[in-house]
Amino acid sequence: MTWTLRISGLSLQISRHSLLAGLAAAAVLAAAAGLALLLGSYPLSLAGILDALLGKGGGLHRLIVLDLRLPRILAALGAGAAFGLSGAMFQVMMRNPLAAPDVIGFNAGASCGALCAMMLTGGMVLPGAIAGALLTAAAVTLLAWKDGLPPERLILTGVGASLALAAAADLLMSRMDVLSAADMAQWLAGSLNARTWRDAALVWSGLAVLAPVVLWLHFPLARLAMDDGIATGLGLPLARLRLAVTATGILLAALAVSTAGPLPFVAFAAGPIARRLIPGGRPALLGAAACGALITLLADCAARAVPAVQLPAGVFTALIGAPLLLWLLIAHVRKGAL
Amino acid sequence: MTDCTSLAPPPALTRAGLRRLWLAAAVLGLAALCAAALRLGVRPVGWSAVWTALTAFDAGNADHIVVRHMRLPRLGGALLAGAALGLAGALMQGLTRNPLADPGLLGINGGAALGVALCVLVLGITDPAEFVWMALGGALASSVLVFLLGGGSRAGTLRLVLAGAAVSALFLALTRGLLLVSRQTLEVYRFWVLGGFDGIVPATLAALAPFLAAGAGLAALAAPGLNALLLGEDSATGLGVRTGLARLAAGAAIVLLCGASVAMAGPIAFAGLIVPHLARWTAGPDMRRVMLFSAVFGAQLLTAAELLGRLPLFGGTMQAGVMTALIGGPVLIWLVRRNGVRSL
Repeated sequence: MTWTLRISGLSLQISRHSLLAGLAAAAVLAAAAGLALLLGSYPLSLAGILDALLGKGGGLHRLIVLDLRLPRILAALGAGAAFGLSGAMFQVMMRNPLAAPDVIGFNAGASCGALCAMMLTGGMVLPGAIAGALLTAAAVTLLAWKDGLPPERLILTGVGASLALAAAADLLMSRMDVLSAADMAQWLAGSLNARTWRDAALVWSGLAVLAPVVLWLHFPLARLAMDDGIATGLGLPLARLRLAVTATGILLAALAVSTAGPLPFVAFAAGPIARRLIPGGRPALLGAAACGALITLLADCAARAVPAVQLPAGVFTALIGAPLLLWLLIAHVRKGAL
Repeated sequence: MTDCTSLAPPPALTRAGLRRLWLAAAVLGLAALCAAALRLGVRPVGWSAVWTALTAFDAGNADHIVVRHMRLPRLGGALLAGAALGLAGALMQGLTRNPLADPGLLGINGGAALGVALCVLVLGITDPAEFVWMALGGALASSVLVFLLGGGSRAGTLRLVLAGAAVSALFLALTRGLLLVSRQTLEVYRFWVLGGFDGIVPATLAALAPFLAAGAGLAALAAPGLNALLLGEDSATGLGVRTGLARLAAGAAIVLLCGASVAMAGPIAFAGLIVPHLARWTAGPDMRRVMLFSAVFGAQLLTAAELLGRLPLFGGTMQAGVMTALIGGPVLIWLVRRNGVRSL
């Protein structure tokens, strides 16, 4: 059972299976968001939350729900979705389940940029991180380019840059005074503390801008996943496609980092988890976005649920994502790609 | 795989000759590096003093003390850890056929890091010499966990890789949490994580040597089986190779080699990941040769990094792990641009 959706030149095939999976994912995300609205030091009932969302109820309730909890939840969902999409795109393009934006030096570049900014100016951490990440990714792509962008070259060049920058970051960490180092360790873990409507609006408008590009890359990306021969035979411009996928993936990762900091593990794990939950041979980009959003939201809930020790969400992304991935690995011993 | 489309037989003799030449040059280079490592440093020592320090040690001579008690143990550590990491990296990439696989992927570095962080937090130990056993314990425990979760000896490649990445991330997240909770742990950890040979003593080397020897022996046993596995699971079974056994031996070798090296020198990321690629460029695809070349190149890389970090040029206090990555990264990028990539 499939439906075909045609919008002028663009047509999408939607199978009943993927529609059901999409509905299920939406339901799970909605439930998690509801749970996140309930969580917090100020106790609220479901009825109170609904009232606040509908614009009724007391001013304090409205403030807590609409101005504190809701934007933070939306920021978490947006950042997680961006991380998940970015990681899945890299994994499909490079045909390597270990690939993620940090394979081309994204995270190491961000850490290095943040630390340099901190050391030079005593602040400006986020702009430094974004600048470092984008510069690194651009440099790696340029260095790996030679009549095209074969995945192996991109991976090895990225690993070279990534390890050198990570070592430089470790070195900078060891040369700081312990107070700054502790602050930086907090930031480098990634967190969603005190996110406002501005952050949520930024990440979602960025996603809205990039969504058509991702949709447009979806079809050729699925062919890139096979091998170069097939993709060339279909008449796909390999080099240009890889460049487009890399650029989109990097922009998505930058969007996510500017919202939540360098949350570890989300970009890497969302793809494989989605792949195991939603069977089917296509690159499950939307599934990866949903998984990334869910892991990030749950991690932020965990960070909020333990107020005694102020741990950032970044500590929990792997603590929540890794067991899930391991359980899926053990539950479905299926042979398959990715 | 490289495709061989030409009908002419490959010039086997010249290629083998070239490989021998490479290996001989590499071994000679390693010997020269070792001599330089004993002689050079913040306090340069003459050749004759190096020689007498090794043959007729005089405890009253400052030069002798520098060479024998400071440079020699560090050199030994760099040689052992470098060879072990190179060898383990070759095994890991051969086992998973993934050019991104490095020894740390089995959860070894994550386990060692968590061991060290717990050691500081719970036991209050802050002396790096005492970390050895905690790091080794953490590395062994986490790698056994990864191996079991990855399906034991029947592990599919992909499942093993994903399980390794997941467990590594889990342990590193726990470590990060500990660092954020305890400032004292952060203070110790941020220096340990640089990886290096400061404060290494001959007793530590001697204690870890059996682990390294056992790892190297298992690696040699696993090599023919891994060669067959590179052809694919079914072909290997068809050739009569006991694939499960080969995988188990390779896995155990990786754990022993990396566990001992991370205990000795902290997490050194670069050697195990990159050296096998260099080895495949020079030695071709045969795992036995790749492993031999990887061991020699790895020892070279870490000896050079350790020596450079001690030179006045870098203030004489740059950790080997940092130097490895700072030098290795640009060199790798240059090599990839020049030679292209041979896939696994």
